[in-house]
Amino acid sequence: MKRALLTGNKAAAWGARLARVDYVPAFPITPQTEIIETIGNWIDNGEMDCRMVTLESEHSMLTAAGAAAATGVRVFSATSSQGLLYAMEMLYTVAGWRAPFVLVNVSRGLAAPITLEPDHNDVLAARDSGFLQIHCSTCQEVLDSALIAYCLAEDERVRLPVIVNMDGFYLSFTREPVQIPDTKIVNQFVGEFDPENIRFSASAPVSQAVAVLGGTPYSYFRYETHLAALNGLAVYDEITEEFANTFGRRHDAVEAYRTEDAELVFVMMGSFATKAIDAVDGLREAGWAVGVLRPRLLRPFPADHFRRALAGKRGVAVIDQNLSMGKGGVLHTELASALYARAECSPVLVSFIGGLGGRDISLEEFYEMAAVTRKAVEDGEAPPPRLLYTKGELREVKKLQAVAHAERQELGKEQ
Amino acid sequence: MNETKFRRKKDLPSTHLLGTGTPMCAGCGGLEAIHQIYDILGENTVFVNAAGCMTMLSVYPFTPFRGSWLYTAMASAPAGAQGVRDGLDVLLHKQRIESKEDLQVVVLTGDGSAYGMGLSATSSAIERGLDFLYICYDNEGYGNTGQQYSAATPHGARTATSKGPRGFPGYKKDLFAIWAAHRPAYVATVVGAEPLDLARKIEKAKSLKGPRLIIALSPCPTGWHYDPGESVEIGKMAVKTGVWPLKEYVDGKVAHTKVPQQRPPVEEYLKRQGRFSHLFHPERNEVLLQEIQARVDGYWEGVI
Amino acid sequence: MYRIRYHGRGGQGMKTASRILGTAFFLEGFEVQDAPRYGAERRGAPIFAYVRASSQPINERGIIRRPDLVIVADDTLVAIPAAGVLSGLTNWSVLLISTNETPDIWEKRLNFSGQVLKLPAPAEVGDPLELRFVGSSCTGAAARLVGVISRDSLERAVRNELVQLGEGVIEKNLGKALEAYDLIGDHAGAVREAEKIPVDGYEKPEWVELPFEEARISAPAIHGAATSVEVKTGLWRTMCPVIDYGQCNRCWWVCSTFCPDSAISVDEQGTPHIDYEHCKGCMICVAQCPAHAIQIIPEHQAEMAGGQS
Repeated sequence: MKRALLTGNKAAAWGARLARVDYVPAFPITPQTEIIETIGNWIDNGEMDCRMVTLESEHSMLTAAGAAAATGVRVFSATSSQGLLYAMEMLYTVAGWRAPFVLVNVSRGLAAPITLEPDHNDVLAARDSGFLQIHCSTCQEVLDSALIAYCLAEDERVRLPVIVNMDGFYLSFTREPVQIPDTKIVNQFVGEFDPENIRFSASAPVSQAVAVLGGTPYSYFRYETHLAALNGLAVYDEITEEFANTFGRRHDAVEAYRTEDAELVFVMMGSFATKAIDAVDGLREAGWAVGVLRPRLLRPFPADHFRRALAGKRGVAVIDQNLSMGKGGVLHTELASALYARAECSPVLVSFIGGLGGRDISLEEFYEMAAVTRKAVEDGEAPPPRLLYTKGELREVKKLQAVAHAERQELGKEQ
Repeated sequence: MNETKFRRKKDLPSTHLLGTGTPMCAGCGGLEAIHQIYDILGENTVFVNAAGCMTMLSVYPFTPFRGSWLYTAMASAPAGAQGVRDGLDVLLHKQRIESKEDLQVVVLTGDGSAYGMGLSATSSAIERGLDFLYICYDNEGYGNTGQQYSAATPHGARTATSKGPRGFPGYKKDLFAIWAAHRPAYVATVVGAEPLDLARKIEKAKSLKGPRLIIALSPCPTGWHYDPGESVEIGKMAVKTGVWPLKEYVDGKVAHTKVPQQRPPVEEYLKRQGRFSHLFHPERNEVLLQEIQARVDGYWEGVI
Repeated sequence: MYRIRYHGRGGQGMKTASRILGTAFFLEGFEVQDAPRYGAERRGAPIFAYVRASSQPINERGIIRRPDLVIVADDTLVAIPAAGVLSGLTNWSVLLISTNETPDIWEKRLNFSGQVLKLPAPAEVGDPLELRFVGSSCTGAAARLVGVISRDSLERAVRNELVQLGEGVIEKNLGKALEAYDLIGDHAGAVREAEKIPVDGYEKPEWVELPFEEARISAPAIHGAATSVEVKTGLWRTMCPVIDYGQCNRCWWVCSTFCPDSAISVDEQGTPHIDYEHCKGCMICVAQCPAHAIQIIPEHQAEMAGGQS
């Protein structure tokens, strides 16, 4: 076992390597490309016995990934934002094939307008597809989650593909210390790919992914996929328990930081949650009873974990780094439905939306969100959702607009 | 064509592998071609399908295949084929399966996918040198949705989206030339109405490695508006009149396997189909008929 | 509400027929909802069409579970379970069949205690798929059976729906519709509107907790070869090819090669055999046989000859 400084992308590549994946269909997109370049290099050097093929689009890439998994090999792939959406048809399709494999998504804000920096709208667009989702907040977690994801995907109680999500730039291009576990121990942990009778071979003809006519059989297949996804909750807990025993690192379905005696809790996903942890340390020093809950598992949705963790809590600041146009934050919506009509668990939920396109969320903003939430608890009512944005930022945009001739008036000036 | 198993019609298969009971229209020219092709390719195959009429070949729990099948999506069957071929290659290389478990990978799409949405994936698969067969059943329109025009629709044809007095204003894309420009291992045109020619070409394709692509003209009673019993006759007329050249591309050269002599006028082919009835009723559209004839004549002048 | 369900084959004009009836109701001032329902929409394959008519706005939707009137345009469909002709029939329902057999034969065959009414199928039956007017006949009769559609409204409805077709075709259809309307006059008003299912005493749906099943079963995959042979596509057939073995010269089995459905096999002696459970009756074999050794006979005659289906 060695400890090295790795970017999130390199950590993902290590996850694929340690899992001894057989096949990597690939297509480049910022900010993921380093993953496939790394794997490509290892293959060329003979350090990985794996086949990598560049397809001509992400839609084709996902098709090839699912098809190879349905043939009987362990598959890895990676994409981001526009690529993930280009493949969207196939995400639903290959999940319906019950083809297990791991897809790393390096999340990035969606066009339009096109950008390169992260938020979670891309990966959340896939939440209905049947792919399970694991969200990482450190580069270590990226490597570990890839291994966990193979166990989860290939478990006979699941047999569904899994997305491992990391934030672009903040994890993908950021180096952090990562323990690279020992190959032998990982081999024992992850094991070999078992097609479990869904494969192609001459001696066992099979027609896969066939058409279905009629609401009754169609509903059966869709419900079963959902039940398999729900099984992921228990299976994930089993796997991560064994992971903790084997590798000494715990990756619970919902990470809880200083929540036991908290009255107020931040809830957020991804790498910015470590900033929330940082803010909580500051707030605690100032006497606040505050903590952080970070869901790692988003699909299946860990409702029971949340209910247990939030029982008796008084206020929750849900920070969404995503925006469903015309509705608001996705995590806020999902959490609200999980807590609805639960007598033992009814904190005031306050919705904040920020971090879109990589926009920073400052320490001061975390402190202020805690204050707003405390007030909401006192009032017994949540204020309307806040889109995090400052006067200074608006001034900045106005200046840009002046150059773009979109807006001829700068803030504060008369015309 | 020297060492072919199919020298005479008596050499054609007498047992048929593809199962009965599929929901294809009675008289389907596409099924005609596929059932002949399947006899020669055999059951050590996995057919990778794109959205089209043949999506309905396998509807749970019924499948006509004695080998395997994977339904993918309209644009990406060649990518699905890539995944299956690579998967099998990895399993063989890592000795997780024996070589007798290997399968030929066969893409099956209609013209909608082949000429249009799937062209990018096909181009890429050829360029990667994928070892696969590609069968396009070409019924010259988006058949499964009601015969709207596609890039394969011939000039002047009436379709659900070209109902004007002059029919489809566009021209049939030359998919053969597009595929051949990629310099794959093999490209050929076939039609079920000429089973010996088809058998020899499939046999040849089967013996080669790399990308091998076939376009099968598929007369369509439902979309072309004629009585189902006429499907084979119309296929024969397409060849006789020169509308559907039977040719192959191999080793960098295009060769015709049949050069029709004394071609009957194209209208002998057109008038049998309701989709061209507006060229004859209420009165003959001489201009369009001559235009169509001229294009066919022009093609064959280039060949001879 | 009147709930009416049509059964026919693709190509027999059920959609148009149902729209004529829908329009006729509409012209009489009813709220109407009409729709066809396709399975795999193929010529010869069973299709359904639904018509609802009410004096109140219609909120019900989709399949008609408990029809007041079932119209069967092609009596060969009754034998096909997938055609669902008998689904939801109660002794309240009226069954109108286009047939040449008598109603009491159908009552006995179907063990049905509701009313069976016959609409004579055209005597000179060639290919039932050629019967372009059977839909209009059925609709004409249906209009009279519900008792609330005037002869005039029926005529206007036919002209409305067929306006795209030539005058000759319209007159033909109209003639058939009115003929049937008049013919079934003794039973005017026989179809009644059923009541809504009551809240007290409805049959409880048997909701079940779906158990998780392993992916091998719960993925849409078929682990078998050629299971399609269980689908008897022979039931699509309205005309039947019959080989005259006296004429058949055991050529290089043209028919077997050209049958798209692999429904003609050849034995060791080189004799072709047609698989009547699956032959769809496309007649390519008839057209291509070099010895002209294959004849076409109407399917129901083939059945009566006792051998074929």
